[in-house]
Amino acid sequence: MKNFIFGKLTLDAIPHLWYTIAATVSIIIMMVVSVLFLTKTKRWGWLWHEWLTSTDPKKIGTMYLIFAALMFFRGLIDVGMVWLQQSIAVNSKGYLSADHFQQIFTAHGDIMVFFVTMGIFFGLMNWIIPLQIGARDLAYPFVNSLGLWLTVAGGILINLFFIIGGDFANTGWLATAPLSELEFNPSAGVDYLIWSLQLSGLGSLLAGINFIVTIIKERAPGMTLMKMPLFVWTSFFGMLLIITAFPVLTATTLLLWLDRFFGMHFFTNNFGGNPMMYFNLIWMWGHPEVYILVLPAFGMYSEIVATFSQKKISGYTSMVLAGFTITVLSYLVWLHHFFTMGAGPEVNSFFGIVTMLIAIPSGVQVFNWIFTMYKGKIIFASPMYWFIGFVAIFMLGGITGVFMASPPADFQVHNSLFLVAHFHTMIVGVALFGSFAGITYWFPKIMGFKLNEKLGIRAFWFWLIGFFVSFVPLYLLGFMGAPRRIDRYDASTGWQPLYITAMVGFVIICGGVIIQVYQFIVSIRDRKQNLDTTGDPWNGRTLEWSTPSPPPHYNFAIIPTVTSRDEFWQMKKRGEHPQLQKEYKEYKEYKDIVLPKNTAMGIYISGFAFLFSFAVVWHILWPAVIGLIGTIVCMIILSFDEHREYVLTAAEIAKIEASRVQG
Amino acid sequence: MKRIKSIIGPLTIILAILLSVLAIFFVLKNDNTLLIHPKGPIAREEFHLMITNILHMLIIIGPTYILLFMVVWKYRAKNLKAETEYDPEKSIGIFGQLIFWTVPSIIVASMAIITWNATHELDPYRPLKSDITPIRIQVVALNWKWLFIYPQQGIATVNFVQFPQSTPVHFSLAADGAPMNSFWIPQLAGQINSMAGMVTPLYVMADGPGVYAGRVAEINGPGYSDMTFVAKSTSKSDFDSWVTSVKQSPHQLTDRTYNELFTPSENNPVTLYSYVEKDLFNKIVLKYMPYMHSNSNNNSKNKSNNNKMDHHHMDHPMDHTMDHPMNHHMDSQ
Repeated sequence: MKNFIFGKLTLDAIPHLWYTIAATVSIIIMMVVSVLFLTKTKRWGWLWHEWLTSTDPKKIGTMYLIFAALMFFRGLIDVGMVWLQQSIAVNSKGYLSADHFQQIFTAHGDIMVFFVTMGIFFGLMNWIIPLQIGARDLAYPFVNSLGLWLTVAGGILINLFFIIGGDFANTGWLATAPLSELEFNPSAGVDYLIWSLQLSGLGSLLAGINFIVTIIKERAPGMTLMKMPLFVWTSFFGMLLIITAFPVLTATTLLLWLDRFFGMHFFTNNFGGNPMMYFNLIWMWGHPEVYILVLPAFGMYSEIVATFSQKKISGYTSMVLAGFTITVLSYLVWLHHFFTMGAGPEVNSFFGIVTMLIAIPSGVQVFNWIFTMYKGKIIFASPMYWFIGFVAIFMLGGITGVFMASPPADFQVHNSLFLVAHFHTMIVGVALFGSFAGITYWFPKIMGFKLNEKLGIRAFWFWLIGFFVSFVPLYLLGFMGAPRRIDRYDASTGWQPLYITAMVGFVIICGGVIIQVYQFIVSIRDRKQNLDTTGDPWNGRTLEWSTPSPPPHYNFAIIPTVTSRDEFWQMKKRGEHPQLQKEYKEYKEYKDIVLPKNTAMGIYISGFAFLFSFAVVWHILWPAVIGLIGTIVCMIILSFDEHREYVLTAAEIAKIEASRVQG
Repeated sequence: MKRIKSIIGPLTIILAILLSVLAIFFVLKNDNTLLIHPKGPIAREEFHLMITNILHMLIIIGPTYILLFMVVWKYRAKNLKAETEYDPEKSIGIFGQLIFWTVPSIIVASMAIITWNATHELDPYRPLKSDITPIRIQVVALNWKWLFIYPQQGIATVNFVQFPQSTPVHFSLAADGAPMNSFWIPQLAGQINSMAGMVTPLYVMADGPGVYAGRVAEINGPGYSDMTFVAKSTSKSDFDSWVTSVKQSPHQLTDRTYNELFTPSENNPVTLYSYVEKDLFNKIVLKYMPYMHSNSNNNSKNKSNNNKMDHHHMDHPMDHTMDHPMNHHMDSQ
């Protein structure tokens, strides 16, 4: 009976270690504070109706960004704990047990990849893609909401082990078999990881489908594919990778779960299981994932460099082709993550050479970015700082990447800190710098006022210097033979000074983060001085800047007709700034707009899916059944709801537009 | 005064870069920087390959760095001299794009040829060229220690391996009861995974006498950090006398003592075994391949390929189960 009600849950699952107690207490305090705040200010209804149930991509985008920011701090605390351990654990055990240390970097990897980087990109894409292609919404507003809430459910599940269980996976972020099998990992930690990835992976897949359909079907009249802004193109490529690669992740982690739950033998050492197959499958998803993280960033940089050089992007067609080439090649390189597994030289060199081929389109992009600035008038606004920092770091990452693409050289640096330094170069230098550049660039569009430039530039310098102080020592440690993921080492290795340097770099980066937080506070406080009244604070080129900041919930009162690539730039040249146009004031020109209603179904379905996942983690049957049935019933109810849209009449639009033009 | 102020910024940046380069140089010069101080032909070749790759990349990335900073500096909006050049519609045309695609392609083509050759030459399955017959050492990754079995000498060691210098060492890597492991002696050769139920070979050679750090490089559980070993190369006579001394050891590796060793443990001391059960390594590997016992066809097929390692694995480059221990070791025992 006890087994039936609680499954594998026992009293041991209550937090009893110092870190789980600390995390639990802080989570509870945060929850209590927010509940009190919402009750005191009577904002529950507002939160529910205006935000949580919204299907407006702009609001969903904002929620993605807030969620990613919260997860970023969790991931950042993890890094601090890792560095502290590695700085002091010389000839001793340090302050963490090996098991706990391994859980921390595992969580760090999963959180930073699935929830922070992807969260920021989905947030910005939700905001910007409809605006850039002249659309009012995404193709499937409900699916968009569901995708967000599934991702959030995954994010809650990955943090839930603090409160219930106290163990996370200690396998590294990919839960590589056979280490993640029951034989070596009987605790619920790996199951938390698997189901967190299942939920957020499903969310990403839904978002991917949604964006692809939106980009293909919802473009404004006249915007042919080759007139799309480059951010739309690279996001499109990223989404293509998502819809082809994420099902592989879902299937692979599901097979791992079957091993763990039903005692099957897909990836076990024994009874015909094949752990090497797990490596192949997980990296067949994992390598495209790398490009899912960097492709949207490439597009953001293309937008930013053109805007702030006040020039059109150089070699547009070539840039699209380069993005496409990277997309195709990224499917064909997964084996370079395990050259050391002993495949023959033919196989290894094939994958090594294909990996090197990626350097070609990457080079083309860098050249075109540089030649976009050539004969331009470069304005050094803070997004441009991030951009230039990125190009410098990206080329460093290119050198170290090609370095590792050669299998025999990889034998020496694989699994070492050199590798860790390389992929952080790419993810921090490309994806994260891109996120910061993108957020700063589009912030006035999102909030209606600019971020404080001075603090933004200062934060950039902290990040850039911190980056080098942090990761150059890791490259060197790789040369010194330091493997990744060790929690203690011998003093004779001579590694400690470099680990401490890396820790100093982390502290500098934290300085950057603190400045960024301060930047947000100051910018909100001084928003009156930085108001963006024109909707076009940077002298932009693409359609999102033709709308007011922040845009009305229908984005465009009148859908523009596109005739050229940098449509808004051309409009301004022709003297046709849409907000100065007469029809925005004249009521006759408007037509009724059909908009999606709010729906809470996304939250309900994600809630049931969360219940199911949690139950499965702890092997409890009855909530799993409730979760599964609830999910299905919600979908059925939703499919019978035929009044999911409402009409905004022309008169109402005229009123909104008129009030804005006057105000 | 304004002039001085304007150069202070760039000057500090240049000074900081110079100091860091100097610091990096001293770190690299240090003897602890194992990859830069290889002590055997394989590691040396791998190091040279790294240098070749970096130089190739620098051909293209070096000038690009310079170009980047020149363009950024020259076309800054504040530079009124460059304002006459401002051309908002300027884009690099088809001819320029062809150059953009071709130049990196040439570099990559050159690196591809080098990679193809190096991958074949430095294939861990490939025996080293030497007049001296290789010494065979079978390696088993256990939770969390390394077991080395010397089939020719009939001895075994834990967390310590010794071999004669200038002699090819033929490691056969496997694992038992442990997840995926990676066997790495940075100064002698790059790492190769050691896995349960499979045998992966690795050939290394040491130039002279020396002591080298070795360790596991793939995360495998709580004992991961301490799963290190010492590799030692000595002269042939020193090696022989070491073998004689190991033969005096009271420890013996029988089925029973192996089971004790098999129990997960961390930070194991170096242990020397004067006797090792015959066929122990094969038994360890076959534990994970029950079907191989009955499948005599497969064995005989492998045996026929006995002398042609290269041929054998070219047939089945991905199929580790074909890399049957019988093939490598039965003849030598």
